[in-house]
Amino acid sequence: MKAMEEPSNAARRMSFFFIAVVSVLLVLSFISLFQAVETYRRTGSPDLLTITLSLSAIALSSYVVFQMRRKPLKLGFEMPKVYTTVQCSKCDFKNVREFQKGDYILKAIAPCPKCSSQTLISSIYREVEGKEE
Amino acid sequence: MASEIPVNEMIQIAWMGFFVAYMFYGQRLQIKIMLKEIEGSLFRLKLIRDRGRTIAISTIKEAGKTPEDLPARVDRILEHVDIGPVSLDPVGIIKRLEHIIDTRDFRFKDEVKLMIPEADETQQNNMTNMLEAALALNHLYRLVRHFYLMGKKTLSFYVILQLQMILPEVMKEAEASAGALRAFTLGQPIGDGIGALVAAKLMYGREDREIVKDVAVSEVPIEGRTAYVLKAKGPGGNVGKPGEAVKQIIEEKEGKIARVIVIDAAQKLEGDKPGEVVEGIGVAIGGPGVEKFKVEEVATKYKVPINAILIMQGIGDLVSTMRKETIDSVDNVIERTKRIMRECTNEGDHVIIAGIGNTMGIAQ
Repeated sequence: MKAMEEPSNAARRMSFFFIAVVSVLLVLSFISLFQAVETYRRTGSPDLLTITLSLSAIALSSYVVFQMRRKPLKLGFEMPKVYTTVQCSKCDFKNVREFQKGDYILKAIAPCPKCSSQTLISSIYREVEGKEE
Repeated sequence: MASEIPVNEMIQIAWMGFFVAYMFYGQRLQIKIMLKEIEGSLFRLKLIRDRGRTIAISTIKEAGKTPEDLPARVDRILEHVDIGPVSLDPVGIIKRLEHIIDTRDFRFKDEVKLMIPEADETQQNNMTNMLEAALALNHLYRLVRHFYLMGKKTLSFYVILQLQMILPEVMKEAEASAGALRAFTLGQPIGDGIGALVAAKLMYGREDREIVKDVAVSEVPIEGRTAYVLKAKGPGGNVGKPGEAVKQIIEEKEGKIARVIVIDAAQKLEGDKPGEVVEGIGVAIGGPGVEKFKVEEVATKYKVPINAILIMQGIGDLVSTMRKETIDSVDNVIERTKRIMRECTNEGDHVIIAGIGNTMGIAQ
């Protein structure tokens, strides 16, 4: 299904409000850090509070930017891996292959390569990847 | 000189300004943030709905020759509404509800037949189910849009809060419907069909007859008892009328049925394992309640005990392609069914085993 495989380009959009907030935060943090360094050069005593706050703000903004990376939205139409198990009704022959359109459970397939008896589809299932429950 | 910029004072003034503004506009700001979040979900819902519609139209086109006004016909189905029976006078409400459900089903199937007259029954049933999933997506989108616009118009904190509270559940439901649509286009068995699959495995190799429309029943000797095993007729997407079938069998046997065992999929609670099997008492048939009512009524009339075997699954798994964990529970369910028959009935007794659920991708 072509329509199901298309990436969701339209979903890739970012909030300009958040970009503006993060940019202002980042600029202020760098100015503050620059001032702290300048003060240290002039006086010889470091303003630890300002340095810590500036570095924290830079780290926080970087984290937010990292989180806002363009990620394609998952719409739920992504094709999972679906398998079909073909089993012989007489012997222990078993074959697991990818699902093909037209497969259904208890569908009679070609004769068994081992004993020439009828083989049939015994199960169709999808494998769940990761932690999905 | 950069050192002359009074950044600390600027930040302090900005902070105080923000504090004063927040005192007056705090809730409004919160509403704006909440609306922004809802807008994101609504946008995603719209994408899911639109993609669902596109897939539905392209799948129907692939199934055979279609009329020129296919998109308009699909849109008409997607906008379909059901009007439930009046409950002011509840006498006979089940029969009236059944009539409305039947009319709706016939209408949907007729519409699909008009769209793809050359397709076989299995394909037409699958397409009907697919359109139902697309309809559910459209309904969800319109519902969320309605409350979003109402919240935006009134700026009512409580309207927006309620919508935001139920949104995760709504999105889960939308994803489940998207998964269902995907499975229906390919005719893959879905999690809900596990009851039908158990019945199919028990029926395999036996003669079956259509006891009521779209329900097949076989007589299967199990553990020295005669079991009437029934399921919806597959492999097309179908739920049939299992309640009507159980009623007919009990009436045919004049109540001489030792036990009814209903096997169905059920929604698990968070933390439960998918594919877990549990037992209970009562009629495990979902849906609007018509089929459940029929079984309860006839079982009460003849004092037939009812057992239920449930296979637990997540909401998304119930309507999307069957998981391996679910299919692996079939042997466990069959073993439990046999155990109940051994423990609760005597040799020579008659038992009904009803495999409930959508039988898409499962023959008999």
